[in-house]
Amino acid sequence: MNPVIRREFIGILRSPRAFGMLACLTLVFSIAVLMRWPSDASVDLSGLQSLQVFRIFGYGMMTGVIFLVPAFPATSLVNEKNSGTLALLLNSPMNGASIYLGKIAGVLLFSLLVLLCSLPASAACYAMGGISGDKFLFLYLVLGLLALQYTTLGMLISSYVQSSDAAVRLTYAAVFGLLFLSLLPDAFFRGTAVGGAFAAQTGDWIRNLSPLPAVMEIMGQGSVGSFGLKTLPGFTRFILLAVLSAVGLAFWTISRLNHRIFDQSRSKGVITDDRKAMSRVFRRLVYIVDPQRRKGGIPWYLNPVMVKEYRCRRFGRAQWLLRLVSVCAVTSMVLTYMAATGITSWGVETIGALLVLLQVVLVIVLAPSLGSGLISGERDSGGWELLRMTPISSFRLVFGKLMSVVWTLLLVLMATLPGYVMMVLIAPELTLQVQQVLVCLLWTSIYALAISAAVGSLFRSTAVSTSMTYVVVISVFLLPLLVWLGRDAPFGFQTVQTALMTTPVGAALSVIDAPGFESFELLPESWWIAGVLSSLMFLVLGVQVWRLSRAV
Amino acid sequence: MSVSDNSAVIQIDQLTKQYGEFTALDSLSMQVEQGQIMGFIGPNGAGKTTTIKILVGLLKPTSGGARIAGADCLSESRKIKKLVGYMPDDFGKYNNMRVSEYLDFFGAVYGIARKPRLRRVDEVLEIAGATYMKDLFVDALSRGMQQRVALARTMMHDPEVLILDEPANGLDPQARIDMRTLLLKLSDMGKTLIVTSHILPELARVCDVVAMITKGKLRAFGTVDSIMKDIQQRRTFEIQLLQRERVADATKSVQNWLDQQADQEKGGPGTATGAEAEQMVRFNTSLADDAIAPLLAQLVQQGQPVSQFREVATDLEDAFLHVANEEQVSDGPAEPAQVAAS
Repeated sequence: MNPVIRREFIGILRSPRAFGMLACLTLVFSIAVLMRWPSDASVDLSGLQSLQVFRIFGYGMMTGVIFLVPAFPATSLVNEKNSGTLALLLNSPMNGASIYLGKIAGVLLFSLLVLLCSLPASAACYAMGGISGDKFLFLYLVLGLLALQYTTLGMLISSYVQSSDAAVRLTYAAVFGLLFLSLLPDAFFRGTAVGGAFAAQTGDWIRNLSPLPAVMEIMGQGSVGSFGLKTLPGFTRFILLAVLSAVGLAFWTISRLNHRIFDQSRSKGVITDDRKAMSRVFRRLVYIVDPQRRKGGIPWYLNPVMVKEYRCRRFGRAQWLLRLVSVCAVTSMVLTYMAATGITSWGVETIGALLVLLQVVLVIVLAPSLGSGLISGERDSGGWELLRMTPISSFRLVFGKLMSVVWTLLLVLMATLPGYVMMVLIAPELTLQVQQVLVCLLWTSIYALAISAAVGSLFRSTAVSTSMTYVVVISVFLLPLLVWLGRDAPFGFQTVQTALMTTPVGAALSVIDAPGFESFELLPESWWIAGVLSSLMFLVLGVQVWRLSRAV
Repeated sequence: MSVSDNSAVIQIDQLTKQYGEFTALDSLSMQVEQGQIMGFIGPNGAGKTTTIKILVGLLKPTSGGARIAGADCLSESRKIKKLVGYMPDDFGKYNNMRVSEYLDFFGAVYGIARKPRLRRVDEVLEIAGATYMKDLFVDALSRGMQQRVALARTMMHDPEVLILDEPANGLDPQARIDMRTLLLKLSDMGKTLIVTSHILPELARVCDVVAMITKGKLRAFGTVDSIMKDIQQRRTFEIQLLQRERVADATKSVQNWLDQQADQEKGGPGTATGAEAEQMVRFNTSLADDAIAPLLAQLVQQGQPVSQFREVATDLEDAFLHVANEEQVSDGPAEPAQVAAS
C-alpha cells in the first residue's frame, strides 16, 4: 500500500474534526428519513414522500461534499511544504505521481466515507418506493465526481500558495465560483441575440461545470437558471466535464511536484523612488496607485492595525481594491444597461435579483476570507503576542481589524450603486424597494462579518478557522435558500418564510420581487433578527479578545 | 541573591507561578542594574519564558512581584509596554509587507508620530545592520535576517529594557559575532538587557551577570566569574614539563605538597595525576591562588623542568551542567536517562 495513502487517510480519520463531521452527517441523514417516514398504515402510491426525502438528502449530500471535501486537499500540499516533509518525500524514491496519488486517494477515501454515511438513509428512501434505482446511482456518480473535481482543484491550489489559510480561501472561492458563477453566462445568453448560437452553447457547457443543474435534473426539478424552460440533459455533460477537468488538474499538479515547487524567491522589484526622474514621472502618470512606491508612513488619523491589515493582504493594496471596485461597478452597469435596452427579456426585477445575488455571493466569499483570520491569523503568526506587548488597546486593535473588512465590503457594495441608480431611473417607483434592498445588503455584510470574526476567533489555526467560518457562513446564508427550493414540498409557506427571515438575503430578494420570492413578507423582522444575531456575534468576539489579551 | 537595591532597573521579588499543582516558578528573586546584560540560562521548560512573560505583563504571577524602572509589571502594564522591548523567539511574520512598512506599523502602534517614526525606522535598521533589507518583503527573509529585523522592531520605541529570547538562534557564525557586538553596543547606550540563549559561550562573552534556573528555581545568580568560583569547589591545574621521564617524580612531589595542605583544603586533600604521554601533571584543589603559589616555587627549587603552570578554565557550559547535576541530586534521584544525558 502506498505509504502516503495510509498516512493521509488514517491521519484524516484520526482527526476529531473528521469524526465530528461524519457523526453529524449520519445524524442529519437519519433525522431527514425519520421526519418523512410513514407513521400510519397507508401506502403513498405516488412516491411523493420518498421523493421529498430523496431531495432533502440529495441536496444535503451535495452541500456536504461542497463544504467538507475542499478543506482537506486545500491544505494537503501546502502543509507538507511548510513543514518540510514534502522535501523529504520528494527526496525519497517516491516520484511526484505516487505522492500525488497517495494524497488524493486519502482524501477521496474520506469523501467516500462521507457518501457512505448517507447509504442507510438512501436505502430507507428506496424502500419507501417511488424512486428508481438508477436515480440513486446517478446521484452517487455525480457526487463522487464532484468530490474528485474539488479534490484535484484543491490540490492544485495547494501547490501554488504559501499558507494553508490562503489555500482554504482560494479553494472555497474557486468552488463557489464553479458552483454559482458558472451559471451566469448561460443565464445571460439563453434566449437573447447576443453572441448568437455559439455563445448560447458555450454558456450551456459552462453552466454544466456546476453540479447544481445535474443534481436538480436527477431530483426531477428541471434545472437552475432555466426559469422554467426545458433544458437539455445536464448530468452527462457534468460527468464529462468533471472527468476531463479532474484529469487536467491532476496532470497540472503532478507536473509541479518537483524541486521547483520550493522556488519562493520574492524580489523586492525596483522601487520607484530609486528610479530616474523621467521614469518616476512616467509611473506617476500611468499609475493611480504605484505599488512600487515607498510608503510614506501611516498617518495619525488612521488606525495602524487597519492599515496593516490592508497591507498584509495580497489583494488588499489600493491598486487591487480599485480593480475590484471597477469590476463590480462595470458589471452592475452592464446588467442594468441590458435590462434598459431590452437586450434581455428579463424585467427590472430579475436584473435586481441578479444584482442582489452578485453582491451576496461577493459578500459571502469575501467576509469569511477577510474576517475569519482577524484574530487566529495573529495567533498563528506569533503577531498576537507582539501586539499584546504594545500600548494599543484591545478595543482599538479589534476595531482596526473590523474596519479593514467593513471598508472593503462597503466598497464592494457601493460599487454596484450605479446599477441601482440606473434601475431607479428606469423605474422610479422602485426607489423605496431599492433603498430597502440596500439596507438588507448592509445588514448582510454586517451579519456575515460578525459571524466570520466571531467564529474565526475561536480557533488558533488560521486554516481551521477559515474552513469553519466558511462552513458556518455558507450554512447560515445558503440553508434558508435550500429550504426555499423546497417551498412547494416538503416545506410549507410558513416554514419557508421563517427560514428566509433568518438572513437579510431572503428579505432583499423578496423586496426586489425576485421570481419565487414575491409572496414573502420578511421586513422588518429580518433586520431585527440580523441585528440581534450580529450583536451576539460581536459579543462573542469581544469576550474572546478579552480572554486572549488578559494576563492569566 | 535577592538584594533589594534602588539602582536596580529590573527587580524580581519572590516570583512564583503555579499552574494547578505544577510550579513553573518558585520564589524567584533577582535584580539587574542599568546598562547590564543579564544572561538567563536554563534547560527547556525551566521557567525562563514564564519569567519573561511575567516581566512584560503577559502573565500574572501567583505570588511575588516584579518591577521594571519602578513600574509594577502587573498593575502598570501600560508603563511597562513603553519601557520594555520584547523580542520573542517567534518572529511574528506579516505577509506581503516590506520591512520598512513592518517597522512603520509597530512604530505607529507605539504612538510615535509619523516624521520621527520614519527617521526611527532608518535608525533602528542601521543599528541592527539591516539597512539593506528596508525594501525586502518580510515573508521572504531568511531566519538570520528575521532576527535582525526583529531586533530593529524591538528597538523601535527606544525602550529602556530589552528582553531578547534566543536572539542568536539560527544565526551563522558571522551573524552571531555581529549580534554580540550589537548587544554590547546597546549596553553602552545605557540599555538594560535580558538575553536567553542555549549557546552558553555566546552569553559568557557578553553578559555582566548570569542567572541559572532549573525547574522554576534560581540555582545561581551573579557575574560569570563569581558563579564559576561558587561552583568550582575544586579547581583543576596543569603543570607542563619539558621531560617525559620527570613526570612521575613531579607527580609525587605535587601529591606530597597537597597532602601537607590537607588541613586547609575543603573536602579533603587534592589529588595529583601524571600523564607521561602529554608530559603533564594535573591536580585539583580548593586552595586560593595565594596558597597555591608556593607549590610552583617548590617545584622550581626541586629542579623540575616546568614550562607552564596554568589553571584549566571552566566555561559557562560546565558551570551550567554542574548546577543542573546538583539540582538533580537535591531534587531526588535522577532517571537513568537524565544522568546519561548530563
